[in-house]
Amino acid sequence: MAAVIGKSAAVVYGHGENGSGRGGGSFLGPRVPAEVEAMARGVQELGKETFRRLLKVTVNALEGKDCKESVKLIAESSNLSEEQLAFLISGMYTLLREALRLPLSTFKQEVFKEDLKELRIPEDFIVDFSSVVFGNRRPDSEGMALKQGSRLPSVQDFKWRVDVAISTSSLARALQPSILMMMKLSDGTAHRFEVPVAKFQELRYNVALILKEMNDLEKRSILKIQD
Amino acid sequence: MAACIVPESDSIRRAVSLLNAVDSGRFPRLLSRLLQKLHLKAESSFSEEEEEKLQIAFSLEKQDLHLVLETISFILEQAVYHNLKPSSLQQHLQSIHLDQDKADAFASAWAAVGQDTIEKFRQRILTPQKLETIGWQLNLQMAESMQVKQKSPRAILELGVSNEDSKNLKKVFVEFSHQELFEFYNKLETIQAQLDSLT
Repeated sequence: MAAVIGKSAAVVYGHGENGSGRGGGSFLGPRVPAEVEAMARGVQELGKETFRRLLKVTVNALEGKDCKESVKLIAESSNLSEEQLAFLISGMYTLLREALRLPLSTFKQEVFKEDLKELRIPEDFIVDFSSVVFGNRRPDSEGMALKQGSRLPSVQDFKWRVDVAISTSSLARALQPSILMMMKLSDGTAHRFEVPVAKFQELRYNVALILKEMNDLEKRSILKIQD
Repeated sequence: MAACIVPESDSIRRAVSLLNAVDSGRFPRLLSRLLQKLHLKAESSFSEEEEEKLQIAFSLEKQDLHLVLETISFILEQAVYHNLKPSSLQQHLQSIHLDQDKADAFASAWAAVGQDTIEKFRQRILTPQKLETIGWQLNLQMAESMQVKQKSPRAILELGVSNEDSKNLKKVFVEFSHQELFEFYNKLETIQAQLDSLT
């Protein structure tokens, strides 16, 4: 009894940490998602060619590309029903997405392959899945995160200008420098504003300070803890 | 300077005679008050109540008071525009027949806060949006829906941009990774190099 509880606790709190003897799930969580199970069953009868095409569509979807056309092609050329296609692709998508969430430094190929074996996915297909996650065909996670991740907008385009006001309606000889900044952010908004020289110095100082803090943070031991 | 800083028009002449009649005791205070608010565009320096008190204090009718205040502001704005020295301001005032004591009052008020006032005018900008505040936060992102077990430092910069129309500060939030912030910093350094080359 205690051993079973211990095992499930390990599965919940330690994604893929321990070696053998885990119940089903592991990197997919304590319960395997329904579509992954359905996919694992359905994939057994698939031909290698069809499987590879489906895998390609899934990888494109993970990278955020539009796959309607390719899915239609597969539907026409193979004898798979729409329903079958649906759970095959969604199962592969979920499987790969969960695997890609884990950083390569802690998630090892052997563990991944073991887990897929437990789902009874054919050996050939395990190799293909593996090469997507661990090989150099790994979908760009930074790119994915930028599009779908939950984060504040980042600077996409930054233009600036330094002006010197020679004369104004209030001053015959002003000779005052000023900075005009135009920032385009990743959420599509654009901001144009003037920065007085004193404020600019403050901005520069603060950015340098943050960089220094980041450097210190990255050197600290908390970041060296392997998990 | 030969240039006519204060033109001799009818309204100026009338204003000068009114000014000469005004009590000298309170005059310097009036000057400094006007100088304080000179750089603020739309605001008038005095409220309704204060104007009424001034009318009584200087025994001027409402219209005359307005003329006097506007003339003083005009003279001071001209002093700003031409970056006059206190002595030349005094000369100009004497040439339009302002009394000695009033001209002296102008000169000493200008000597005291003239440069500061000019500086305030210099800082005035024409673009509607100006960066007012800078705030930031350094976070260590541990995970997100797309990726777990990260340990990536992320900086959030909060830029407070004022808009001339509204009184509210628009807050612009921008997030940076280490690399992105470093690139941003390099761009700021380039701007700084440009500023340095101006001096």
